[in-house]
Amino acid sequence: MKITALMVLKCSGDGVTDPIILANASDVSQFGYFQRGGVKEFILFVGRTVAKRTPTNQRQSVQHEEYKVHSYNRNGLCALGFMDDHYPVRSAFSLLNKVLDEYQKNFGDSWRTIQSDVAQPWPYLNESLTKFQDPAEADKLLKIQRDLDETKIILHKTIDSVLARGEKLDSLVEKSSDLSAASQMFYKQAKKTNQCCTIL
Amino acid sequence: MSTVKSGHSSYRDRTQEFLSTAERLKKSFSSAAAAAAPNVAASGGPFAAEGPRSGVSIQSEFNKRASKIGYGIHQTSQKLAKLAKLAKRTSVFDDPTVEIQELTAVIKQDITALNSAVVDLQFLCNSQNESGNISHDTTSHSTTVVDNLKNRLMSATKEFKEVLTMRTENLKVHENRRQLFSSTASREATNPFVRQRPLAARTAATTSSAPPPWADGSASSSQLFPRKQVDGESSSPSQPLLHQTQQQQQQMVPLQDSYMHSRAEALQNVESTIHELSNIFQQLATMVSQQGEIAIRIDENMDDTLANVEGAQGQLLKYLNSISSNRWLMMKIFFVLIVFLLIFVFFVA
Repeated sequence: MKITALMVLKCSGDGVTDPIILANASDVSQFGYFQRGGVKEFILFVGRTVAKRTPTNQRQSVQHEEYKVHSYNRNGLCALGFMDDHYPVRSAFSLLNKVLDEYQKNFGDSWRTIQSDVAQPWPYLNESLTKFQDPAEADKLLKIQRDLDETKIILHKTIDSVLARGEKLDSLVEKSSDLSAASQMFYKQAKKTNQCCTIL
Repeated sequence: MSTVKSGHSSYRDRTQEFLSTAERLKKSFSSAAAAAAPNVAASGGPFAAEGPRSGVSIQSEFNKRASKIGYGIHQTSQKLAKLAKLAKRTSVFDDPTVEIQELTAVIKQDITALNSAVVDLQFLCNSQNESGNISHDTTSHSTTVVDNLKNRLMSATKEFKEVLTMRTENLKVHENRRQLFSSTASREATNPFVRQRPLAARTAATTSSAPPPWADGSASSSQLFPRKQVDGESSSPSQPLLHQTQQQQQQMVPLQDSYMHSRAEALQNVESTIHELSNIFQQLATMVSQQGEIAIRIDENMDDTLANVEGAQGQLLKYLNSISSNRWLMMKIFFVLIVFLLIFVFFVA
């Protein structure tokens, strides 16, 4: 489950004007050294095209070979993610949501005035690329579900051990009641030999 | 009782009694035990007869329910045997997953229904036992029946759990074998703890957005090779793209829907999991409190044992004292006797 690239673009949503790249972060370490440049260009191109065709306030997922490109256009600000097929779609969109929120927090509305591609990297995007390789981080629901499942397993084990404990306690009760009966017999016997008449 | 004497033969015409008794019986079976009284022919007798009859009808209701539950448990265990057979014989290719899942769901429903029925039955049995005028044997019989049913239900549930674990192990083995032979990366379906349902949303997302034709141009190479004429090619596919965008638009609305649906589903899953967890905790607390009682009993037994052993030790000590002291006395008496004997012998001899 891998995220290959994350991008933030400004797009108008009318499907004609090319979107403008505001931030870009990609992880192309899996490709050979000479292919990396080409791959980056390819990512830029695909990202631009998908963002161009995402209408405003819509989410879209496009399947491309072995990658899924998820894009979320929110009021002209579009976030894109290149993920592989195993990444759950919901987590992808919640991640894109988060990225958009962070971007608006950091840059306010200044992105509306930008007219050409921004070249400087945005460190938050790079961090999130590495942090969110595991979808549970991005999607709280998934994390909660995973935790709950683990808890349920632990509880099942606990109940099994409590049942075993119950059985042991039952055997202990039996043994202790036998012990108390035996000690009572012992006491009676001792009293009998003590009281019985003349000592020979 | 009306007597009719005619001539020599004297017979008693008891048809009226018979009819009234038959009416009474009919009334007591059709209506609930408490409500039968007012309609019956006005005599005080039937009122007294209703009491034990209501006890009988409650008992027969208990028996009816118990037999229904036993029958249900029997059927469920039969279904369970079928499920076990299905789960065992799954091969890699011919996997009756749908059947197995249906059967699992049916069995789970049955077990929960039987569980609630047994709880109801136990409640009825307890209320019956508390209401007094029933014999001691009946109460012990009903408690035994309820315990027996609970034990059978528990064994059926345990078998069900075993069958499910066996099935998940089989699935894991299949997936491993599949990984060995196929080159595609392992799917998340191997992890039995991952919720199965979001997979449906994901496949919906992939089918709803078909790859646009401009991707086909680059799909000629299986890897992400660089594309030189980026700008030139973006214009030529623009024509066939126009009606693709319409399709995409139509497919985008269900995608929004499915996104929201998948979120709603995930939330519901979380909520149901939390409910199950609360159930488990409650059962755990009940079990631990029951075991606490057992521990207290053990403690009492040990205290009794200690007291008995101390008493016995005291007795033995006394015994020891008495033995040793007697000997001393005897020795003294013998000594004196021997001295007397010696004196006698000396005097005579």
